Amino acid sequence: LLELMENGSGCLNGSGAADSAEKAQQQQQCPAVQLSERNREAVRVIGQYLRELGLARSAEALVLEAGCPLESGAAAQFRSSVLLGDWDGAEASLASLRRALWRESSWSEIAFRLAEQRYLELLESGAHIAALCVLRGKLTPLQLSPDRLHRLSGLIMCSGPEELRQLSGWSGAAGGTRQALLDSVEQFFPPSVMLPPKRLSVLLDQAVRAQVSRCRHHNTSLSPDQLTLLADHSCQAAASVPSVCSQVLDAHQDEVHVCQFSPNGRFLATGGRDCVAIVWLVEAAANPPGAPRVRHHLTLRIGEERGGVAWLAWSPDSRLLLACAAEEATEVIVWEAETGDCIKKLKHRDEDSLTTAAWLPDSNHFVVGGNRGHFYLCSVDVGFEKAWDFIRVVALATRREDDGGTAVLAADTFARIRRYRFDTMQDETLFREDGPVMSMSISQDETLLAVCVASAGVHLWDLRLRVCRRRLHGLTHGAYLLHASIGGPNQDFVASGSHDARVCVWHRGCQAGDGAQQHLLPDKLSGHGGLVSCVSWNPRHHGMLASASDDCTVRIWLPASLAAAAQAASADGTGPGGAGFSSNGCCSSTVSKHQPPPLL
Amino acid sequence: SSEFNASYSMGRLHIEHMGGERVFSCANCDCPLTNRQQLISTRFTGATGRAFLFNRVVNLDTSELQDRVMLTGRHMVRDVSCRKCKTKLGWVYEFATEESQQYKEGKIILERALINESEGFPDPVKD
Repeated sequence: LLELMENGSGCLNGSGAADSAEKAQQQQQCPAVQLSERNREAVRVIGQYLRELGLARSAEALVLEAGCPLESGAAAQFRSSVLLGDWDGAEASLASLRRALWRESSWSEIAFRLAEQRYLELLESGAHIAALCVLRGKLTPLQLSPDRLHRLSGLIMCSGPEELRQLSGWSGAAGGTRQALLDSVEQFFPPSVMLPPKRLSVLLDQAVRAQVSRCRHHNTSLSPDQLTLLADHSCQAAASVPSVCSQVLDAHQDEVHVCQFSPNGRFLATGGRDCVAIVWLVEAAANPPGAPRVRHHLTLRIGEERGGVAWLAWSPDSRLLLACAAEEATEVIVWEAETGDCIKKLKHRDEDSLTTAAWLPDSNHFVVGGNRGHFYLCSVDVGFEKAWDFIRVVALATRREDDGGTAVLAADTFARIRRYRFDTMQDETLFREDGPVMSMSISQDETLLAVCVASAGVHLWDLRLRVCRRRLHGLTHGAYLLHASIGGPNQDFVASGSHDARVCVWHRGCQAGDGAQQHLLPDKLSGHGGLVSCVSWNPRHHGMLASASDDCTVRIWLPASLAAAAQAASADGTGPGGAGFSSNGCCSSTVSKHQPPPLL
Repeated sequence: SSEFNASYSMGRLHIEHMGGERVFSCANCDCPLTNRQQLISTRFTGATGRAFLFNRVVNLDTSELQDRVMLTGRHMVRDVSCRKCKTKLGWVYEFATEESQQYKEGKIILERALINESEGFPDPVKD
């Protein structure tokens, strides 16, 4: 192995000043710079990167000046032979590399792959006799897996290159398979002989991912390879985390209990004890772009005898709004949000109590339920369709499944979250909470479920792995229902109401701690004058948060940078529109940041 | 038939439900409280007459701790009332001075006249 590397390293072993000076005179190739072991590795990795980019001359110049070859001579020889299709030359180089292997036994595997590539290329070009010779003379004597041999020999029957490529899954001599062969062989040699493929790209990617995992307010949809290398990545809190109240909406006459943005982010629906559901429009100011403001659109009445609006649900196409009333709720109402037309009043039986609902993806079917044990599948077209008996429903969500059907997720009074398929009448318990469930909210990409557990906090469950990923603490507990919402482009943010009149916002933390249940403390937004029951993230304007409170108002929160822009826009004269809309500037809101506790 | 005034509550109360085949609820507002599986004894007496001892009851508010001498001895109790309509329903034993009475600690007395028994249904989930 040493003799393979000596070409480059010999002249760097200078023992004394006089010695090295002499050698420097003798060998023109000797570099002017003394390189440490780490530096030499860096040079090799950079050289490989340049070569992969196609800058071969730069790579060569680098090697010459640093006196540090990218890989051993025999390895370079092997590489160029394979790329040129000089199979005999490749075999010869391989023979001289044999001693350098990690394990002697891998030699036959490499020889097999080399011969396999040769065989396939010969078949592709139509030289069947030659291919057969390779099969008999090179592949068979290696006595490796008979299955592979059998599969390869079967390919002789292919009628042409197209069929060969299709059946074998091999993309052809021109399809990058020679490079792929080199990449696959590299793992058998120590890095000093042959570098692992794309080494510098891998290192850079690891560094960026580590920065992303440390980013406390990470709120971007850019993937790691789109982030700049020139500075450590860190999302600015001011640009991503809501901290300023930009609007106070006071059109409601009584406590507001629910707020929901529509899936397309264009509408906000709010409702509460005054038995009225209000639809608001979200408008993004043109100049500067991205500063969203909310204005009143419609007021929809549900009737005084119902005890208030208990829940509001948007259809997935953002066209329809469904309202459930409070405890004595026998009827749910569906309106078209744009026009305010009531298109369905659904009532099944007089003793029903339907206090929560969720839509299915077709924007026609929906499920409703309540804790008296009513759990129905309904549709706008037909009305009541199917009942699932004896389940006391506390909260509902829906999720598309792999087979194309939709599962209904229901939390019940036994603190179980279960999955129901109304098409196959199949059900299953997904997980159990360790306290009574108050409400539940699914992320937009349907991977995470935020469960509000009384006196415990918000628990984030991963729906694919069926484990609890985070337990979010710090909200103030009490006797009243709280709702949470998951938002942000990567489902990174969770917000919830709290009994101390503040809105809690958590960033759910880095991905690197998977499996460890991290305990995180929230940022708290002050401003409301009463219990905050419900919050909702805008799915399109990330960072925009709505909160509903017992102080009869709904507040809109924006990141500091966006809020400044929104205020500037309102000062230009885009004043209040409909009744009961007050646009004031920044309200007295403060953000108190908790220091994150040491990771448990 | 509920005469309570709901408007003095803030937010929507979180009402739990213990389920069960025979459900006990508040006679005034029908708020679910407990079920027959939680019933330990029917041989107690309260202000309105017969009272039941239950193991676990939900949706109750409790008062401050009180020192009370009863037929069975001296106890530290808290009054309990319906979380929804605030009607006083009974009490919970926190501490019994006599050893023979200590089995009652943590258990709840609900007066029979102040609760309704109604039909529930069994939990269909088997796992």
